[in-house]
Amino acid sequence: MATMINLTINGKKVQASEGMTVIEAAKNAGIFIPSLCYHEAFEPEGTCRLCIVEVSGPIRNSVRVSCIQEVKEGLVVETETERIKKHRTLILELLLGRSPYSKELLDLAARCGVVTSRFLTGEQDDCVRCGRCVRVCRDRIGAYALCWANRGYERKVTTDFERLSEYCIGCGSCAQVCPTGAIKMEDRGVERKIYTWGQVVARFKLERCKQCDKPFAPKKYLDWVRERAYKPMGLKLVDIICPECVRKAERPAPVESPLTGAPFQAW
Amino acid sequence: MASKTDKEIVISICAGTGGVAAGGNKVIEAFQQALDENELTAKYKARTHKVGCRGFCAKDVLVDAAIDGEQWTYQFVTPDKAKAIVEKHIVGGEPVSKWLVKEDYHAFHSKQQKLVLANCGQIDPESIEEYIAFGGYEAARDALGIDPDEIIGTITESGLRGRGGGGFPTGIKWGSCRRAGGDIKYVLCNADEGDPGAFMDRSIIEGNPHSVIEGMIIGAHAIGSSQGFVYIRAEYPLAVDRLRLALDQARERNFLGKNVFSTNFNFEIKVVLGAGAFVCGESTALMTSIEDRAGEPRPKYVHTTDRGVWGKPSNLNNVETWANVPLIIKNGAKWYNGIGSDISKGTKIFSLVGKINNTGLVEVPMGIPLRDVIYEIGGGIPKKRKFKAVQTGGPSGGCIPASHLDMPLDYEHLYEAGSMMGSGGMIVLDEDTCMVDMARYFLEFCRDEGCGQCTPCREGIFHMVRLLTEITEGKGTPEHISILEELSPMIEDASLCGLGKSAPNPVLSTLRYFRDEYEAHIIDKRCPAGVCKALTTFTIDEAACNGCTVCARNCPVAAITGEKKEPHHIHQDRCIKCRICYEGCKFGAIMKG
Repeated sequence: MATMINLTINGKKVQASEGMTVIEAAKNAGIFIPSLCYHEAFEPEGTCRLCIVEVSGPIRNSVRVSCIQEVKEGLVVETETERIKKHRTLILELLLGRSPYSKELLDLAARCGVVTSRFLTGEQDDCVRCGRCVRVCRDRIGAYALCWANRGYERKVTTDFERLSEYCIGCGSCAQVCPTGAIKMEDRGVERKIYTWGQVVARFKLERCKQCDKPFAPKKYLDWVRERAYKPMGLKLVDIICPECVRKAERPAPVESPLTGAPFQAW
Repeated sequence: MASKTDKEIVISICAGTGGVAAGGNKVIEAFQQALDENELTAKYKARTHKVGCRGFCAKDVLVDAAIDGEQWTYQFVTPDKAKAIVEKHIVGGEPVSKWLVKEDYHAFHSKQQKLVLANCGQIDPESIEEYIAFGGYEAARDALGIDPDEIIGTITESGLRGRGGGGFPTGIKWGSCRRAGGDIKYVLCNADEGDPGAFMDRSIIEGNPHSVIEGMIIGAHAIGSSQGFVYIRAEYPLAVDRLRLALDQARERNFLGKNVFSTNFNFEIKVVLGAGAFVCGESTALMTSIEDRAGEPRPKYVHTTDRGVWGKPSNLNNVETWANVPLIIKNGAKWYNGIGSDISKGTKIFSLVGKINNTGLVEVPMGIPLRDVIYEIGGGIPKKRKFKAVQTGGPSGGCIPASHLDMPLDYEHLYEAGSMMGSGGMIVLDEDTCMVDMARYFLEFCRDEGCGQCTPCREGIFHMVRLLTEITEGKGTPEHISILEELSPMIEDASLCGLGKSAPNPVLSTLRYFRDEYEAHIIDKRCPAGVCKALTTFTIDEAACNGCTVCARNCPVAAITGEKKEPHHIHQDRCIKCRICYEGCKFGAIMKG
């Protein structure tokens, strides 16, 4: 068993395993710390700065981001001090200044007691530059379709040369992880479109399900999955079936993987 | 004739950035030609000698003429003057007194203490032989025979602190990098000097590149590293060329490479060019840039001495810090410890710029009063205007007002005064500088140079610039100041890297010392310095105007009219507030308000 570490969050004694971050420990203990750029599925980047907390104990009293700060024996964490609340309010106000119509952001802000912003810029850009989409595409999918452009206030998510991406496989993970709905995926008829504020990332023709004939996934995506999931195990993808049909169908008997000899359950 | 053959004539010409910009290379050619024409090169040991920055850039091109060890210094030398100097002085034996340096040149040097810059301006930066002749690489040779822990002890004892601005004790940093686990470690040199008005690091590399290389060899041995990197801006072509040349020379002599100085120590230095991002001067951004990734800072609660470039322990020091190292090894920790103030030891190089008579590169002992730097070395403010403040530490530093002129210059006092040492930029401001406008300028710089990753810096500084701009445009309200004061601590606390954390400094320090100027902009709708166009009107004092017509002739929009020898008049509807009339009037008849 991993070594357990004792720390205090908002006066509550919490146990966490070594290597955990403060935000994870807090979540396990049922303590809410607002965040935008943090996501369990990939490495934290610590850029939205909403998850700031005050730490003290074995380290000097300071403001740190809880998605980066690892737990430490005896660490004292405060998530709702006057200082933190003030800073967090300002950060939310600043974000709302650019994205005043994102429902998700408005909800998060309201949960933190922020309902108006003094920093309205007239922009209506739902993107909060959290970078989740870039990271999931790069670090998890490995497609590298999305990237950052410009610096400072002009920083934005885009595709290479701001053109339709050649690398996008149409998986929609970016839309899935976007905390504010700034990236959207839309299937209409046999076409899938992934788009952000004012820019289309990629368009795809959808393949039809062999069972129900409904268009459901781009060929590039299916090839990507076949290349990475089936091929290494020496299996062949026989029928292309949509998730809905898969759920309805009976589970097939496990097959033996020709490579490992171990039984493999197709789904 | 035979008796004169051993007469030695050396003409040393400044070929630093300032010298080259003032035409140094042409002056070298002209001297060489003149020496050849007068058959001096054939008859005597006469030669031209290219040296690094001499410090007093305002007087460039500076030339030292040494005849048998006796030395004269000429200022503002041009190719024509070079020819005349050779004919009249070298051949004729009579120095051209009207072109010799004046009192201010000596005053400029009187309070300085040149340690790091001692050889800069004396030796040819492109010649390793000259560096060696001045005792170069002796410290490195000796250091390789000393136990690493002893070297780290010496550096710690000397009290040397990071010259990049942080002021972290160098010995302690080296020690933690040495103790960090792993076989592969890196030593890095930060030469990504990007502050407006700063030229300390480039001058060291351009004037004495070997001192930095020698420092890095000693550091690498002490830390246990075999690979070094110098991260230098591509915008410093002369420094890059001279550094690369110096590295080649050092490799040829086996000061770098395998079995350095015939020991079992291997060390190589690679030059990495920065692509023009200010934020790459931040340690983690610099490291990601060395890794060939976008130069963006990483959030870190782990020291780079434990996990730096490619996750390996990395020791990053600034150019000036490295250049100090050979001096400490050579002269001992006690010697170094005796220079400077109580807690800040050694000397510090400042680039003295702005509204100051003697612009240039100065090296002073830590703890010297600010007044000495401004009035004795700097020669005071031009045009007899009043000193207002000095901005230290670059765009993220703060300003120090006239009331603090007697403050000693060291890390602690600068920090207490709301500014910082930074890498050593020192911009002098006179009464014609608007402090709100200045704060706006530096914040705009940080807004444009930030990477944009974290919210406080990206959005926060954008709005701080907006608020400051509104104040300078006369649209400010008292609420503007309160929002600025609200945003600043948040940006300081919550930003990801040092750039954001220090960006509000110019606003905080101007609010601390010059709050009345903010209030004048907001409440009286008036810019006391007459800089903010929307809040300034220029008028002519009829009693003082004698109708010389200079202002009317210089006005680019013909907004000034008047008869000769009669008081002139400015038509406010046409005036674009360019200040040309104000700057050009010899009678002080143009009033701003």
